[in-house]
Amino acid sequence: MPHEGAVPVGWGGYLSRMNVALFVTCLADHYFADAAADAVRLLRHLGCDVTFPPGQTCCGQPAYNAGKSRDAMRMARHTMDVFADSEAVVLPSGSCATMVKKFYPRVVRGAAGAAGQAGAGARAAQASALADKTFDLAEFIHHRLGVTELGDGLAGRRVAVHQGCHALRELRLETELAVLLEGAGAEVVPWEAQDECCGFGGLFSVKMTDVSAAMADRKLETLPELDWVVSGDGGCMLHLDGRNRARGMGVEFVHLATALWRGVTGAHRPAGAR
Amino acid sequence: MRVEIRDYASRSREIIKEEPGVREAVTGATIAFDEKRRQGYSEIDADAWRRWAEGVKNHTLTHLDHYLTEAEARLEANGAQVHWASDATEAREIVTRLAKQHSVRSVVKGKSMATEEIDLNLALEDAGIEVFETDLGEYILQLLEEPPSHILGPAIHKSLQQVQRLFADRLGSAPDGDPDTLAEAARLVLRDAFIRADMGITGGNFLVAETGTVALIENEGNIRLTTSLPRVHVAVVGIEKLLPRMTDLAGFLQLTARAATGQPIGCFVSLVQGPAVHPDDDGPEEVHVVLVDNGRTDVLAHEHAWEALRCVRCGACLNACPVYRQTGGHAYGWVYSGPIGSVLDPGLLGLHEAMPLPFASSLCGACTDACPVRIPIPELLLHWREEAQEEGLTPWKERAALAGLASVATRPGLYRLAGRIGSRLGATGVARALPMLGEWARDRALPKPSRQTFRQLWREGIE
Amino acid sequence: MRGDSSRERILARVAKATASRQRLPHPGALVTPPADDPVGGFVKRFTSSGGEVAEADPERSPSEWLTGFLGGLDPAVAGVAIGADVPADLRPRLPAVAAAHAGAGISVAWGAVAESGSLVLPSTGTRTAQLLPPVHIVWVPEGRVFARLEDALAELQDGLPAGVGLHSGPSKSADIGRTVVTGVHGPGRCIALVGPGSTASTGVT
Repeated sequence: MPHEGAVPVGWGGYLSRMNVALFVTCLADHYFADAAADAVRLLRHLGCDVTFPPGQTCCGQPAYNAGKSRDAMRMARHTMDVFADSEAVVLPSGSCATMVKKFYPRVVRGAAGAAGQAGAGARAAQASALADKTFDLAEFIHHRLGVTELGDGLAGRRVAVHQGCHALRELRLETELAVLLEGAGAEVVPWEAQDECCGFGGLFSVKMTDVSAAMADRKLETLPELDWVVSGDGGCMLHLDGRNRARGMGVEFVHLATALWRGVTGAHRPAGAR
Repeated sequence: MRVEIRDYASRSREIIKEEPGVREAVTGATIAFDEKRRQGYSEIDADAWRRWAEGVKNHTLTHLDHYLTEAEARLEANGAQVHWASDATEAREIVTRLAKQHSVRSVVKGKSMATEEIDLNLALEDAGIEVFETDLGEYILQLLEEPPSHILGPAIHKSLQQVQRLFADRLGSAPDGDPDTLAEAARLVLRDAFIRADMGITGGNFLVAETGTVALIENEGNIRLTTSLPRVHVAVVGIEKLLPRMTDLAGFLQLTARAATGQPIGCFVSLVQGPAVHPDDDGPEEVHVVLVDNGRTDVLAHEHAWEALRCVRCGACLNACPVYRQTGGHAYGWVYSGPIGSVLDPGLLGLHEAMPLPFASSLCGACTDACPVRIPIPELLLHWREEAQEEGLTPWKERAALAGLASVATRPGLYRLAGRIGSRLGATGVARALPMLGEWARDRALPKPSRQTFRQLWREGIE
Repeated sequence: MRGDSSRERILARVAKATASRQRLPHPGALVTPPADDPVGGFVKRFTSSGGEVAEADPERSPSEWLTGFLGGLDPAVAGVAIGADVPADLRPRLPAVAAAHAGAGISVAWGAVAESGSLVLPSTGTRTAQLLPPVHIVWVPEGRVFARLEDALAELQDGLPAGVGLHSGPSKSADIGRTVVTGVHGPGRCIALVGPGSTASTGVT
């Protein structure tokens, strides 16, 4: 699977440390703050200088998915300006990374088509420049840094991977999460519903809440014996875990950044800590 | 069939809560179909085939007037008669008139979404004509007076036990009959219907312009019988079904079968050029082809949605769709369900009639990966959502909330403040009273916010 | 007449809908890898779809062999329906009966296709013989096995009969309880007899 900009830096990266701007995303900021902090630790450990542009807000995906393209465009413009000078942008969310990488160019094209505005060409260039330097966390570690061996801190852990749909089908990250988790010592167990949508879908989970919950049930009911479900998408995890807790199923969800950082450090924090 | 799309949310709830067998049967069947599709694709260079098929359909749809007139001329040269129907009413009138002209008392039908779409059976029955659906799944549904739930497997939502009860009741078969026995019971009734029928009615998977060939794919042989035994054959074909050349058909017959069931080709393919006019030929005395618009030219004119007209009705997107799997087709409220229904119905019926289908998707994209003609279903859904927002067809609270988010998200200071309040509030009982979170919280535990936000952790320094 | 005005209306709407759209070119032929052993390929595909293949005994006349073959089927075939285009030397020596009551239908294929495992049956044969009996026996001249469906349809195109059936296995359905049932409407067994010959329709002579 070709990945644009996949230039493994390996040890070269340690010699000239790469500057990475963290785009934390709304859900990680508020619900997976520790995981986002683990992403920072992980990136530093892998030889990156991490910055956090303070003007960052929401990527605009809720508006984009709802068909509010003008609102999405406003947020895209804001984000493009905030990260204009960053060398690389990394998101601990496959879905928001996809928004920036794949959907901003579409949003900009749509807005240009609708208004025929002056400056549309410049915006398109800005969107494409941001797309080229933006990465989902797993994508960045695996393809940009070229790192797949992280340690053995997850030795003895049985984990299943929940593939976020955007990372899987837009970014085509089909094996990367599993490879990294195995590279951190975990045993990745097969899960028949691994690649199926969990039913979150943002607005979908509130508009079509029964179907959405039934989709989560299908995921939860097919889980094999395991210690954790790991995902790179906070939205999916809030939804799946919400259903998990409502049904008292006792499944433990861990964000990819936290899992990988534990792989590096071998640190065993209390179960369930985010 | 009647359009009952607006009740999608409540109907899906009802099916999930009150008919759990449907979810189980549909999930099992579609996962099996989807696996066969993957296997079927893996045996060919599926990407190359799909790109090719997309290209042929795009070419055809952008030259459709040319190919329609070519097909008409060829069919007439073959001795077939061509009729044009602007809408469902006209299509029904044409077929009913033909039936009356030929003093038809009994009709056998092959499975056809187009005839479901125009509600043909009802019109024929009103005219005093006996109608037999002959596809086994369709026959089951005809007995139950239910519409099909899936393009390919119309009765996939029914369990063996339900069919056992139905056939015991209606056909007198053993109440614990195995599928072979049940199929035999249906076969006996329908064999008699085939022999007696004066008219056979089918749809058409493809219409080849160059040769005037209506091509039909199936596995049971009922369509071969429907197009062979009765003295009159009527094919009801949507105007988007055209293919330029016979050699194109070769690729489409195989790709459609692989997408639908993973088979290299359907067990039976009927290629109908016209009536048996030569003494050496065997077949119906008359062949009529009814070309149906019924909203298709509206879809064709739509800047984005026209791509949905590439659809070959294989059902691969339904099989791949985790949303469809929870309810089957009935929740969608019209003949075309699942992902393709959600993009096609707004075009065929008008967006207003088809709400809220563009929102009945998590946009996971599994459909597009399965589609043999690469219809970008999530993108088209987003275009319909955009139009729905512009036309004010969505709840105002939702539109206001999203506009509010954009206003807040372009002001970082305000965004930080709102985020703090929102996530803390969301964790309390107050959330259940909020319009969107309340829905969320009905079936899920509320999300637990982190002790400190990432911003706070960053400010304090991450070690 | 309303029908005529609908024709004009639909064509005008199509023309208008596509007027401002870019006219996209036809992508040309689909390039698929060549097959070197069409007969072997056909047998493999056809049998994997549930079709059966039998070989006539070259020591006996086809007619005599087929008569014995039909007698050996379970249940033994007593009466047959024979396609109008089946040559005399390929007909079994069994009573001809109406297709609805025949134990087997006998046809001769115009050709066969390796790629899809299909028998090509023109309507110059007898449709009821192809469809109504529980067993369908089809003579296939091996020189008429095409590698690809496209090749077969391209050649067929020159003298298209009113109808053509592609039969690629027995009649089947999984509409009841997802269990595959054969012989639902069409023949539950479809047996290809691949033999020497290269002439369309009157192949094995």
